[in-house]
Amino acid sequence: MRSDDVLLCHVLVIGSGGAGVRAAIEASQYGETLLVSKTIAGKGGCTTMAEGGYNAVLRTADSCDIHFEDTMKGGARLNDRDLVQILVKEAPERMNDLLKWGAVFDVTTECEVAQRPFGGQRFPRTCYAGDRTGHEMMMTLIDRLDSTGVGVHNEITIIDLLKDGDTVCGAAALDRKGELVLIKADSTVIATGGGTKVYDISTNSSSGTGDGYAIGYRAGAELIDMEQVQFHPTGAVYPYDARGRLVTEAVRGEGGVLKNSLGERFMSAYDPERMELSTRDVVARAIATEILEGRGTTHAGVYLDVTHLPRSQIETRLPVMLEQFLKFGVDIRNEPMEVAPTAHHIMGGLRITTQCETTIPGLYACGEVTGGVHGANRLGGNALADTQVFGKRAGEAAGKAGKKTVCIDDAQVDTIRSTVDNYMKGDTNPSHVIRSLQTAMWEGAGIFRTAPDLEKTLGIISHLSTIRLKAASPENLAECCIVRNMLLTASLIVRGALLRKESRGAHVRKDVTQAWDPSSSPYRHTYLSDRREGIETGVWE
Amino acid sequence: MKDITVRVFRFDPENDEKPHFQTYSASVSDGARVLHALHAIHNEHDPTLSYRYCCGSGQCGSCAVRVNGEPVLACMEEARDGMTVEPLDLPIVKDLVVDMGPYLDSLHALVPAPEFRMPTPDEVEEIKPLRSCIECLACVSACPALKVIDFAGPTAMRQELRLQLDPRDQQDRVTEAVGEGLFTCTSCQACWKVCPKDIQLPGKAIEKLRALANKKGLTLPRHQDVAQLVKETGRSVVRTETSFLEQIPEVLEPYGEVKGTVGFFVGCMYNQRLPQTALDAMEVLRRNGIRVIIPKEQVCCGSPLIRTGQVDFLDTLKRRNIDAFVFRNIDTVLTMCAGCGSTLKHDYKTPFKVMDINEVLTKYGIEPPARLPLKATYHDPCHLLRGQGIKNQPRELITQVVDLIEMPAICCGSGGGVKSGVPDEAAALGEKRREEIKKTGADIVISSCPFCEYHIRDHSDIPVKNVTTVLLEGYREKDRKAKEQKPC
Ligand SMILES: Cc1cc2nc3c(=O)[nH]c(=O)nc-3n(C[C@H](O)[C@H](O)[C@H](O)COP(=O)(O)OP(=O)(O)OC[C@H]3O[C@@H](n4cnc5c(N)ncnc54)[C@H](O)[C@@H]3O)c2cc1C
Ligand code: SF4
Ligand code: SF4
Ligand code: FES
Repeated sequence: MRSDDVLLCHVLVIGSGGAGVRAAIEASQYGETLLVSKTIAGKGGCTTMAEGGYNAVLRTADSCDIHFEDTMKGGARLNDRDLVQILVKEAPERMNDLLKWGAVFDVTTECEVAQRPFGGQRFPRTCYAGDRTGHEMMMTLIDRLDSTGVGVHNEITIIDLLKDGDTVCGAAALDRKGELVLIKADSTVIATGGGTKVYDISTNSSSGTGDGYAIGYRAGAELIDMEQVQFHPTGAVYPYDARGRLVTEAVRGEGGVLKNSLGERFMSAYDPERMELSTRDVVARAIATEILEGRGTTHAGVYLDVTHLPRSQIETRLPVMLEQFLKFGVDIRNEPMEVAPTAHHIMGGLRITTQCETTIPGLYACGEVTGGVHGANRLGGNALADTQVFGKRAGEAAGKAGKKTVCIDDAQVDTIRSTVDNYMKGDTNPSHVIRSLQTAMWEGAGIFRTAPDLEKTLGIISHLSTIRLKAASPENLAECCIVRNMLLTASLIVRGALLRKESRGAHVRKDVTQAWDPSSSPYRHTYLSDRREGIETGVWE
Repeated sequence: MKDITVRVFRFDPENDEKPHFQTYSASVSDGARVLHALHAIHNEHDPTLSYRYCCGSGQCGSCAVRVNGEPVLACMEEARDGMTVEPLDLPIVKDLVVDMGPYLDSLHALVPAPEFRMPTPDEVEEIKPLRSCIECLACVSACPALKVIDFAGPTAMRQELRLQLDPRDQQDRVTEAVGEGLFTCTSCQACWKVCPKDIQLPGKAIEKLRALANKKGLTLPRHQDVAQLVKETGRSVVRTETSFLEQIPEVLEPYGEVKGTVGFFVGCMYNQRLPQTALDAMEVLRRNGIRVIIPKEQVCCGSPLIRTGQVDFLDTLKRRNIDAFVFRNIDTVLTMCAGCGSTLKHDYKTPFKVMDINEVLTKYGIEPPARLPLKATYHDPCHLLRGQGIKNQPRELITQVVDLIEMPAICCGSGGGVKSGVPDEAAALGEKRREEIKKTGADIVISSCPFCEYHIRDHSDIPVKNVTTVLLEGYREKDRKAKEQKPC
């Protein structure tokens, strides 16, 4: 590789979801910014798929304090207080940015952004654009991005961060053809989104493979609360290939009810007060329990029913759901959906400060790849707000950071190159490894967990990690790198789950009996890095 | 699990001289989509197969491909045994992956106006349907116009209207759209029919932009002339010979038993340019027991005005036409012009039922004609196939009289005011038809729309005939044979 093959910039943003694009827009004010993503900007990632909405305090009857309290309660008080304060305070400002840039949200007759109720919130504060809210945001952000000078590089997969000593100085990537691309940057922002594709049943897009957690970890950054994986209560169960596809919480927000095969509205046994609009962890466990105890449907789900709602409400508020189910032969205006929990969101991730700095110099992070904002369970609608609030902060901090005189470490590049080259000599089809991993994770690190199951899962992951992946052609090299990341991310989830010897939020340890609730828990974050791992102790104020 | 056979387009522009197809047997689950069949091929047979996808749920627009020629989302379309999967008709990167970048980059972005004003609920309702576009480019792949002329394409027009309707955008998007080929759209509806989000691009975007262009005085002069003609004469074309309505009594009784009664809406083209074809059709109807009532005060349906965005005079036309049939207590109106039929069905609110002649004849069933020793190909009129969903009925009729050789259903270029407004484009599309027609080796081209028949005549080396004319020829042949056999 000649030195002129290196792309140079002030800020490198990895990932073109809501967080990455927002970061790039902001960073571009401070210097040359590159946005690199393994999908086409605007089309990749989970932001585009987000249906339900964006939480922001917009009315005088609501308040940031209530939003804060709802988020903390929903998060089983594992959230970083500072980050949540920022989230609730700045979510409305970032919503205003989107509106200024042309986002078409649903509005009330008073021309205010309309809001609907979402689980675990005491005020209907979820702003929406039908049930394609994330798509609306992405279209708006891409529009805005076009008017900045950001250089956009689509379909390039970042495989590792480059380091000069302790400092991150850019990243190594593979393009479509499998050619190595080096990017040197003063500041690097990771916004690679989530990673629940490590599970057999997942809502995530194909890019949700956890690359950012793995890349960050390998570079020495610390991650927190990786065990906190949200299982969304309502994923499709049929047909087989559509399993896990999200059935948005907006369905329940609009009045959908859950029933078991006996026709009982079973939520009354789990959370009689909030019923279907309880927090996701509670509803997911309720559904999983109903199914485990034999009250599920023949497709191993429960019913989610909106047939009592006016047809026009379904058509205008849930058009994407209507269309998706119609494609599979179910008219949700006339018959109930069948749903079951699906791996949705990783609450844990890279540890960040309020300025989105990770624990290593030169590296910033925002969006789902970070930990701390959502604690042990994310409220529906808080993730989209997260992408905008912390996307802006990351872009700003990265942009404002000074120029650095950093050098690319040739030895590191050689190591990366040889790892990659080795895939050409491997022997195992990566897609077979993915399948084994996904099954193992679903069975051993799913909704209900025990230490023996987790140990066993970790064993399987370690074994899978020794397999020599084979790239059938240079174009398949990135796929191999991604599988490696999936394996690492999965192992971080399992290690976190073993470290947290309590049930909290989305993380349930069936083998642990505990005498405390979230507010009196003796534990704080679990943490994992290549240098240390453990769980912080001490009751939060 | 089940095994299906899938034929897949393979092409690596860097290493292959030309594309080829490869057939795989893929194991898929019940209800699997095309995408899952591609996964099965990629995971189990050939990891080098390239295709693009991301959300897997019809939300990101990454995965559009052509299945058996039709653009679809791979993640939503059910996988079928024997299907052929090809890339969209865009520059190919590799196999099923096309270069979407340049097109996506060319779409305009909102330029915030200095004064911010939130859109009203009404504005939001108007913009929302245009906003559900996932930029999959299926419509761009299907659009015939942009292949022969500078035209930004269907979804670009959608985006222009979306911006125009938004109070937060400060640009004049209408003038911009005109510059980008607003008037080159032939109204063929191909884009709408392939749109996975069912966005009615020609009707809900292009015609609306044309109406806004009309308010700005940007309507093409040739289109203005047509509007003037309609206002003055009630007809959109000049009469070159004795018109159909001048030659025919108000009621035509069938030759035998009466099977049904219809009112007949003739339309400008059959009335003034191709009256003989309409007369042929009347013969076929009479022979098959259909009583036809023909109100003489009927006028142009207004289609040439709607398609070109000149809508002020429309209500008058609609009222006159509706009254003409209502006055005679007619409950079914028959059209034989695909454009008029589509307009009466979609742009009018009629108290009567509207049926195309192909529907009527197949509904009542026809007396079998003699077979003619001819090979024919059939040109699907856009406003019949896509506008009215009529595909099988004309084929059912045609195959009773001649052998049919199919060709792909692509716009001939005569619609949307393009023949008068952008004649070069119409001719270019017509020439593409000539090539397809040639490929079939047919002796005649059959169609069922006066615009297509009139236009293709200039772009075909073989005769162009209406469905009913061919049927009539079959009847004449039958009569001749019957006469020959009769002993004198
Ligand atoms: C189906 C679904 C519905 C949801 N609905 C809601 C909702 O209604 N409300 C809400 O608040 N939250 C919702 N969420 C959660 C929310 O959408 C996500 O948490 C959030 O959008 C994540 O944004 P992001 O920018 O961090 O990541 P993403 O949007 O996932 O973007 C990640 C980007 O990183 C890129 N990338 C990944 N790895 C690499 C690599 N190695 N190299 C280069 N690029 C890479 C990807 O291509 C992609 O562009 C939903 C999630 C899903 C899956
Ligand atoms: S109607 Fe036909 S010509 Fe017009 S934009 Fe659509 S596909 Fe193109
Ligand atoms: S208008 Fe429809 S077909 Fe065209 S790009 Fe948008 S979603 Fe795809
Ligand atoms: S993969 Fe996103 S639309 Fe098909």
